[in-house]
Amino acid sequence: MSTITAVVTRDVTTAAGSPSPQGAPRRRSHLRKRLELALLLGPATLLFVTFVFLPLVAAAYYSLFDWNGFGPLVDFVGLDNYTKALGDPLFQGAISHNLFIVIASLVVQLPLSIALALLLNGKIKGRTALRLLVFAPYVLSEAVTAVIWLSLLQPNGVVDGLLEGAGLGGLVQLWLADQNIVMLTLFAVITWKYIGFGIILFLAGLQGVPEELREAAQIDGATGWQTTRLIVLPLLGPTIRIWVFLSIIGSLQLFDLVWIMTLGGPAGASTTMASYLIDRGFRRYEFGFGSAVAIILFAICFVFALFYQRFALRRDTQGAITGRVE
Amino acid sequence: MNTRSTRKYVAAGAVALMSLGALSGCSGGDGDSADGTTTLTFWHNGTTEPIQSIWQDAVDEYEKANPDITIDVVPIQNEDIDTKIPLALSSDSPPDIYFSRGGGQLATQAQSGQIADITEYTSDWIGDLGKAADNWAVDGVQHGVPYASQVVGFWYRTDLFAQAGITSTPTTLDELNDTVDKLKAAGIAPIAVGGKDRWPDAFYYNSFAVRECGEDVLKKGLAEGDLSDECFTKAGQDVIDFIATEPFQEGFNGTPAQQGAGSSAGLVANGGAAMELQGTWHKSVMQGLTDTDLDPLVGWFPFPEVDGGEGDPSATLGGGDGFACTQKHAEECADFLEFLSNDDIQSELVESQVVAIPVKEAAAATITDPVMKSVYDFNTEAAYIATYFDVALPTAAGSALNDAVANLFAGKGTAESVAEAVKAAE
Amino acid sequence: MTATTIAPAPAPARSKASFGVMTPVRYLFALLIVGVTVAPLFFVILGGFRSNAQINSDPAGLPSPWVFSNYAAILVSESFWRFLANSTLISVAATVLAVGLGSMAAFALSRYRFRGREALYSMFTVGLLFPLGVAILPVYLLLRQLHLLESWIGVALPQAAFALPVTIIILRPFMAAIPTEIEDAAVMDGATRLGFFWRILLPLSRPALVTVSVLAFITSWNGYLLPLLVFNDPANFTVPLGVATFQSQYAQDTASILAFTALSIVPALVFFIFAERHIVGGLTGSVKG
Repeated sequence: MSTITAVVTRDVTTAAGSPSPQGAPRRRSHLRKRLELALLLGPATLLFVTFVFLPLVAAAYYSLFDWNGFGPLVDFVGLDNYTKALGDPLFQGAISHNLFIVIASLVVQLPLSIALALLLNGKIKGRTALRLLVFAPYVLSEAVTAVIWLSLLQPNGVVDGLLEGAGLGGLVQLWLADQNIVMLTLFAVITWKYIGFGIILFLAGLQGVPEELREAAQIDGATGWQTTRLIVLPLLGPTIRIWVFLSIIGSLQLFDLVWIMTLGGPAGASTTMASYLIDRGFRRYEFGFGSAVAIILFAICFVFALFYQRFALRRDTQGAITGRVE
Repeated sequence: MNTRSTRKYVAAGAVALMSLGALSGCSGGDGDSADGTTTLTFWHNGTTEPIQSIWQDAVDEYEKANPDITIDVVPIQNEDIDTKIPLALSSDSPPDIYFSRGGGQLATQAQSGQIADITEYTSDWIGDLGKAADNWAVDGVQHGVPYASQVVGFWYRTDLFAQAGITSTPTTLDELNDTVDKLKAAGIAPIAVGGKDRWPDAFYYNSFAVRECGEDVLKKGLAEGDLSDECFTKAGQDVIDFIATEPFQEGFNGTPAQQGAGSSAGLVANGGAAMELQGTWHKSVMQGLTDTDLDPLVGWFPFPEVDGGEGDPSATLGGGDGFACTQKHAEECADFLEFLSNDDIQSELVESQVVAIPVKEAAAATITDPVMKSVYDFNTEAAYIATYFDVALPTAAGSALNDAVANLFAGKGTAESVAEAVKAAE
Repeated sequence: MTATTIAPAPAPARSKASFGVMTPVRYLFALLIVGVTVAPLFFVILGGFRSNAQINSDPAGLPSPWVFSNYAAILVSESFWRFLANSTLISVAATVLAVGLGSMAAFALSRYRFRGREALYSMFTVGLLFPLGVAILPVYLLLRQLHLLESWIGVALPQAAFALPVTIIILRPFMAAIPTEIEDAAVMDGATRLGFFWRILLPLSRPALVTVSVLAFITSWNGYLLPLLVFNDPANFTVPLGVATFQSQYAQDTASILAFTALSIVPALVFFIFAERHIVGGLTGSVKG
């Protein structure tokens, strides 16, 4: 979503011609301004601090204790939970599974969603209906998605039947039971579910590519591919960079689908950082330990966000995370 | 906005939010209303028929006999209840009566300080339930009352056994392997297992350990969370060797245990696999997954003997279902649980086949199905029952055990790895 | 598209074809996408029109004959409508809160100058890195202290709070992009700043407001873990909890499960269909500035 941030922010500074919306001097009592700000910012800040910020602080606090959720926090263990988590091969595996999803998303989903956005941006019959259909899986809840795909993927289920019907019986796999296949299967389902979001984003980005540029290129004899590569893609740059940001954050936080479809199994082959967290917290009642995992996950996302903003997003904007409007 | 005014505003808002919370908290109440009636909250895991109606009817009857008591019945799905109970026990309004499997799980829950001591309220009648009730006591303090006992054994399809030319059920491990071979030769998946959910995998390790370990070693190991005795290593190796014979259905590591026709229970219910190592509840679970009447098609035999094992061959893995009480209305809870264990309700549970092994002997007379009767008799004659390891151990260790056995099923780990995982989780 | 009118950039000609040729390839490609994205949905919807016997004999077949009783039974059941009502109440409340408070905050963060503004904005954006799924344990313990368990407020408030980062991140630049001249003109006409916000800025921001509303609504509608932990009484269940409950209660009745699942998709889908035009429009508007 921050695509919009970055893109707009850039356009604001260049196009609106008035970098500071507060530029015009105004006579206004200081008190009045304060009251207005309190009225405007107070409720949102209160809600946010109560339900997002306090829990974050609380998780950091719980993470220092060996605590099974019952009774008072008495067993202070310092950073033990952190060293234990980072030293656990299962958690290390979980990190690698998250990284797999990160990389696979970039390699597969990025070109795919740009291609589909280009297709849906063109003149094609039933374009509106097509857009709706492509976006439909994004609207489904993760729980429903998992129910659908679990029944499609079960051994001798619909997917196997279709492959055999198409003479591709050799491709049939134990989709969710084979440790070497399960991450690929999950990735396919994730792609099915979330590709619509990328498409919508790129469709919006494409509206910002002036038609005249493409036409001029075509008049100059450029092929469709050349036009795309030399003109459309560079202009989509900001949208791409933000999609990449959101995709990576989402991949690092992957949870619902994995939990419902595999519980992180078999043998931890599809455990993600978040499913590891819930497993430890709610199945083993290791709430202090689970909190430490939550903080590690947050820290990884935070560090990534800072770096990404510094090296990639800076070109578009001052950044989505510590972004400035001015 | 400067920081001072921010802070002030946040503080004012926090007060507003707290009072909002307090307001809605009032409506919940503490269960004791002004007119002298007491409201009890009752959480059970019987979300399917017929058990849901049995509990509801029992509550209706109890309320009629005790006009000063109202019981709020909350059925919660079995998959969710293990998540919800610890959270509720760490809150200030836990349910008054809740589903419990006893054992180390109950002992872990007792650490919350919310669980009631009902020893004095139950002492007059708890003896009627026999040894089964011991599992709901922690260090001699009674916290709950069972309504059913369970044992784990093989449920099998008589029609598929006949089809494969198998005339008698296996009594030794060699015979079991032989049975598996015959079924494979007939093109039938021999054994279904719900590997996705992990606890069904653990039944194999647990059952092998019951066969390999002597009673004292077994009980001491579980009580201390120390499975380092050699017999547990043997059990681990037995599991590895058994998996190596490839007795399970295709893709067993991704199969859920009970959900839908594609689950391991659904496979056996619909003839897609010949047998499954499961608890006594399994027949009614299978019946829920098919429209075919399973009574004539399903048989049962205990886990086979293992050569050289120290365990008594008649011992078995098992456990039970029951309810525990929390402190606020301990006496009322105990009274209700006494009512729940009366002969009529016990008989009703048995007749509906929800419960195979009632805790009241009188109710056993109502068992008519010969297969269920054989399960009941096996339990009665068993030398001892070893509680499911994940229930007997503290929650974290029990869960670690299930995970480690599931890893063996996925080809990861060694004969010692289960003991190591339990030790690490202690 | 309101934003277009104020955009200094030339309005792109959306109606024009961008690439004229390769039409057959395009249609083939389009057909393929439709097949892959929609087939699973059709499997669910059509499965609800089949009997269990039909499904068991051929999982991938078409209904023959068509069976309407699965859908009918669910549509007349009281519980389905109660799940729907609960979900609607929670999602509407969470959306109104998130978009209402979020737009106020975005207004202050985009068009006021004050100390600590960027710090406050950063705090909101950090929320993006700490999603509800990861925060669920402390959130649960907090709700317990506030006595908000078993209450729809206990679901709607956290969902609104976790929707704030996205809402503010989208709205802030959009609002900042609206030229100062418009505000000056409003002030000349005697409007206060809050009056400008209410009467001019919000209407102008409609495309972006629709976008953030859709995102907040869908996220809340699909929420599973939080309502699962907050609600015990089935009378309070939301649609996703209802689907899960129905699934385990009628495990042998695959056709009814598919019908129930299909019906549970409908509200979110309908909501999206109405909002879709605004989403692309909304993003377009903001992308163009």
